[in-house]
Formats: sequence, structure tokens, C-alpha cells
Amino acid sequence: MRGHCTGTAFVFSGRPDPEWPVPAEARRRLEAVWTALTPAVSGPPPAPPLGYRGSALRCASGDEWLAYAGVVAHTAASGSLDRRSDTERKFERLLLSTAPEGMLPPNLLP
Amino acid sequence: MATLRVEIDIFSGRPNPVIELTGSDASALVDRLGKTRRLEKGEPGLPPVPTLGYRGLIVSQVGAATRKLPRSFRLAHDTIAEDGVLRAVADESVERVVLESKAFRDAPLDRDFKKLLLREIQRFREIRLRWPWRPPKVKFPPVVLRCRCAPLYEPAWWNDGGQKQLRNNCYNYGSNYRTDTFHQIPGGSQPGAAAGAMYTSITGPEVRNAAIADGLINNPTANNKCPGEGHLVALVIWPGVDFHWYRKGRTGRWSHKPGSTPVIDVDNSNAVITDPRTADRGGYTQFTTFMTVMHGHVKIK
Repeated sequence: MRGHCTGTAFVFSGRPDPEWPVPAEARRRLEAVWTALTPAVSGPPPAPPLGYRGSALRCASGDEWLAYAGVVAHTAASGSLDRRSDTERKFERLLLSTAPEGMLPPNLLP
Repeated sequence: MATLRVEIDIFSGRPNPVIELTGSDASALVDRLGKTRRLEKGEPGLPPVPTLGYRGLIVSQVGAATRKLPRSFRLAHDTIAEDGVLRAVADESVERVVLESKAFRDAPLDRDFKKLLLREIQRFREIRLRWPWRPPKVKFPPVVLRCRCAPLYEPAWWNDGGQKQLRNNCYNYGSNYRTDTFHQIPGGSQPGAAAGAMYTSITGPEVRNAAIADGLINNPTANNKCPGEGHLVALVIWPGVDFHWYRKGRTGRWSHKPGSTPVIDVDNSNAVITDPRTADRGGYTQFTTFMTVMHGHVKIK
């Protein structure tokens, strides 16, 4: 997770989805969580049309992580895909916690 | 001798070819058109509606005009039309004068244009002989259009996974007004932004008034009924968080586009939306109002 990274929560319909810069320290913790995850056997369940639909971490290096409902998918700059299981939604929670206070609707995750 | 400007009225999308007859070519056309008579009842006239393909030559006199011809008229086969009055000329192949003129030969036309034009002149003759057309003897099944002015439900057009899908939101889709500005510019795809009256808080009245500033018409008593003109949209609010729009389509069913995601016609419970007031709307719990979109009246940033 080198260089500048941005967090995004896919949640709105009319307004632009919230985006925020993710600090270096949080990136290191996210990387540690990602490294500890085990391979997922399937993708996430489909998200509802309205409401929270997942979150993303996008870095200037071209790497992107999409997290939703217990699955985190990493797409490398080269295009390769690695999907890991995160049943406790640690990665997703940590990523959302890096958003500035008040930017996200409350109680996005159960 | 007058110069005759001749527009070959044949194209729809491209400009029609125009040539100018001068000298002996112009004289030849004037002579061939010399004596005319009014069309008798029952003689084929010109179709009163424009047809596709050759429709005649539009001839205008340029400069010093001869009194032997009208200033401007349409010529097709043996008929000239001036201000809606049809007259017959003796020679029914008078267009050949134009086709054989020096100006036509020298004009920068496509190589096979003359052949095409000859075929088209004949085709138009057949059209005139068949006029008035009878309606085709085909029985079409009745189509139930509950909202005849409403836009079609055409998700494939919006759901391109690219610019149309990602840069347009529920407001664009609801208004059927593509801006490609969502997430792209400040205020992009936001109610009121185009009018300098963007909402300042996420409440029903704020977003409704912002949409009114964009040209939408509040229609709170629509009760899920299509308006006579334009189409119906519905505004719902996730209090303090976000707004969302649905639109009623031509078949009477509702569809929507949640943010940058694809256009769909089901709600959060995967049920067809017959009334947005009763649909599963997730956090968008406040139904605010129905509104009418008059096509062409709305402006979105």
C-alpha cells in the first residue's frame, strides 16, 4: 500500500459517495489485516440496490481492495485478483473507521 | 438570361446537391417548361408529405428573372408546383435537361450519382402514381401504454459499465437527462445546482425545492398516476443522509438507478416496483413527493 490511498464507501444514490484520504499509519494496519486473511471460497453476496454496498481502498500504485460482507477482493495494478475471507469484517471496519467523523452515515455495518 | 439555381431534393441527412444552370442550359430548361396548364382532377399530384429519396428539383431564378417561369418552384416529372398550385408541362422528361447540362456534368457529385438519380426519379414517379397511399392491411396487436409520454425502460443503454453508468445518478436517470457529471464536477448531477439553488440539507422540502429550481414540477397529488404530458418521478429521502429518485416508465412500472450502479426495476427486496411509496427502499424511509418532468424543460448541472 505504497503512496497515496483513498477510501470510498459505496452508500449514496443521489449524492456522490464519500471519499477520504487514508493515513499512512492506517494503511499499514490495513495491510497487516489483509496479510492475515485466508483465501475466500466464494465472492460476497449481492448488495442491496439502495444503501450500503461496500467500501474500497484505492491506492496511487494502482492497487484496489473492495470489501463487503465478509469478503475482501484485491485487484493488483497488474490486474490479478486475490479474494480473501474476512468473516469478522475486520478490514472493512478498519477502513470505514478511517473516514473523518461525520462523513459516513452511522451504523453502516451491523 | 436568368441563372437558374437547381437544388436536387433527394437527401435527408446530407445537404442536397445544388447546381447553377446558365446560358444555353438555362434557356433549354425555360423552353421545355414553356407552356403549362393546371392539373386536371384525378391526375397524380405530388405527395403532400415529404417522402424519403428524390422529391423533385427546387428551381430558383437568380439575378434578372424571366417572366416565363415563376421565381421559385418545384419540378418533378411533368409537374411544377408553386405555392401549392400544381401545373403540368408537356414534356414529362424535362429533368433530363438538368442531368445533361454542363453544370451537372461538372458538379462535384459522387461517381454514380447520375444513375442513382435516374432510378430515384422513376421511383418517385411510382410513388406519385400510388398516391394516395392506403394503410397497410396488417393487424398489430394492441400495445398497452399506460404512460404514453414516459421514457422507455432501457437498462442496457445506461448500464454500459462506463461513462453513462458511472457518471450519472438517480437524478439523471429519473429526469431522463444525461449529464455525465456525477462525481466529475462540484454539484454534478445534484438537484438545484444548475439553477444556483442546490439543496443545503438533506430534507424532503430542500431537495424538492432544488428540483423545482431545475424545472421539475411538484405533483404531490399524482397518486402514482401518469401525467398527461411528461413523466412522473418520485423523490424519497434518507433523512440527513441522501436523496433518491424513481421514474415511472411507459408500461407503468417504476425503475431507478442507485448512484453509479446499474439501472434496475426492482426494490431492495428484489420485487417489481409498482408504487415507490410501498417499495422496499432501505434507509430512504421518507417518501417526499411525486414530481413531473416535462421533457425539454429541465436543466441539470
